[in-house]
Amino acid sequence: MKKTPLYQWHIDNGAKMAEFAGYSMPLWYPQGARTEHISVIEHAGLFDTSHMAVLLIQGDGAHQLLQLAFSKDLDRCLGLKKTPLVQGRSVYGVFLNERGHVIDDAIVTRQAESLYTVVVNAGMGGTISDHLRQLPTVAPVEVVDLSDKLGKIDIQGPASADILGRLLQDPAGVYTGFPYFSSKGWFDLSQPKSVLLADGTPILLSRTGYTGEFGFEIFLEPRHLEKVWGALLEEGGDRICPCGLASRDSLRAGAMLPLSHQDIGGWPFKANPWQFALPVDERGVFTKRFIGAEALLHTEKVQFTFPFAGFDPRKIVPGENTAVLDGEGRKVGSILTCATDMAIGRAGERIVSLATAVTDGRPEDFKAKGLCCGFVMVSEKFSPGAQLFLTDGKRKIPIEIREEIRPDRTARRTMREMFHN
Amino acid sequence: MKELDEIKLPDDLLYTRDHEWAKLVGDEVLVGITDYAQDQLGDIVFVEMPEEGDSFGAGEEFGTLESVKAVSELYIPLSGEVVAVNEELDDAPELINKDPYSAWIIKVKPDDPEELEDLLDHDAYLKLLEGE
Repeated sequence: MKKTPLYQWHIDNGAKMAEFAGYSMPLWYPQGARTEHISVIEHAGLFDTSHMAVLLIQGDGAHQLLQLAFSKDLDRCLGLKKTPLVQGRSVYGVFLNERGHVIDDAIVTRQAESLYTVVVNAGMGGTISDHLRQLPTVAPVEVVDLSDKLGKIDIQGPASADILGRLLQDPAGVYTGFPYFSSKGWFDLSQPKSVLLADGTPILLSRTGYTGEFGFEIFLEPRHLEKVWGALLEEGGDRICPCGLASRDSLRAGAMLPLSHQDIGGWPFKANPWQFALPVDERGVFTKRFIGAEALLHTEKVQFTFPFAGFDPRKIVPGENTAVLDGEGRKVGSILTCATDMAIGRAGERIVSLATAVTDGRPEDFKAKGLCCGFVMVSEKFSPGAQLFLTDGKRKIPIEIREEIRPDRTARRTMREMFHN
Repeated sequence: MKELDEIKLPDDLLYTRDHEWAKLVGDEVLVGITDYAQDQLGDIVFVEMPEEGDSFGAGEEFGTLESVKAVSELYIPLSGEVVAVNEELDDAPELINKDPYSAWIIKVKPDDPEELEDLLDHDAYLKLLEGE
């Protein structure tokens, strides 16, 4: 099994470890996944995400190659006016095969005129590199797989900018003009743009993450990883805690973010909550040709993927005998993800979060007991509010199809709101 | 994760191979899960308990524990009738993580107290853990 450079730190600090995509990763630390989940909602959490893979796509043919392989239209993707992807900005999308099935999802960032970073999932660096290298190109393009050659730390939660700011050489400068889904700096000194820590360490800093909360992903050379990890924990004090994959999963489920190869995967990328990853105009017409487009246009029989939430923390973990039932007990589909978002609970008809203001409806004595949530794939179209059941053959728990799961998420807040120095 | 020598195992309890503990108090038996089990499960977010008056045979499933990652069945150490459930766990399932030996889950009136002799003592349970 592969290890990240922080493996020994995880062991020394009492993490419960488990295999994930070929890597030995922390599930949680001694404080437990609930504390970790809530720390990200209220303050901050630190995740070792060095298992994820980064690719560099560079050269005159880079743009055209991504236009062919990646689902977003890089010429029409930013903001309401759908302007082109400019330097320093990022987009989320998927790589599809000819059948319209998902090979993997990715965040693509334009780092320079002809240089893009593509961040894919753990273990997928080789697969996506090979896929891209066998595609036709109009001009020279180089695909570099940086799997296991970069370290990555995610700092997530409303206190992230304050904590990271204490380590930056020029926090005010870095934090100016730094919207959601943008990126600054580089992970070494080879590019003429830099975000430096006070001790001179270069980092590639990205306003992205996988929790639905405000924060950053930090890419850096592996030799700096342990030092920066330790410094962030020290600067954060009791406002930060190291977080494992369990809280990463429960946070992303509540934020309705898909897990590749579980919520999206070897079936057509249609009728799911992530259609914004496709290059459609206001009439729903594809604005470019890309791999998988034809298949999506001609696939008629599809399953529908919907977010759901339960009424208490009970869940049914997807397995052999699990299914989704309708009110009459007929099997209508399967469970993709079922996790417990531990920061939320029901207040009458509504779901409220620990982050919900009392003036916005959080009861003063609210105690977050958690709600099960995730995604189901079903054969019929259900509207928000529709009640279904999850079963494992023995137990049966009620769920509700939702448009939103955890309210009052902070990911899209502005730097001005979130940085207080 | 706790090392084996950090796992608390009181001498005066009896244990099952499924990591429940049992303690005879008067003519009733308190049942909970061991420190090893709670450490393996991680944060417990919900306890599904039986009704008072339900009867089970030894080794039958009497409820489930929901942790952050998994759903685990609870098995009753000996045959009997549930005479009480720990209602505190409805609001505070985390009590099991904090002190698994105070946070009993059900109280059982045994059909046959001699079944207690089939359970593991401290040393036998420790040996089982050493093998896991």
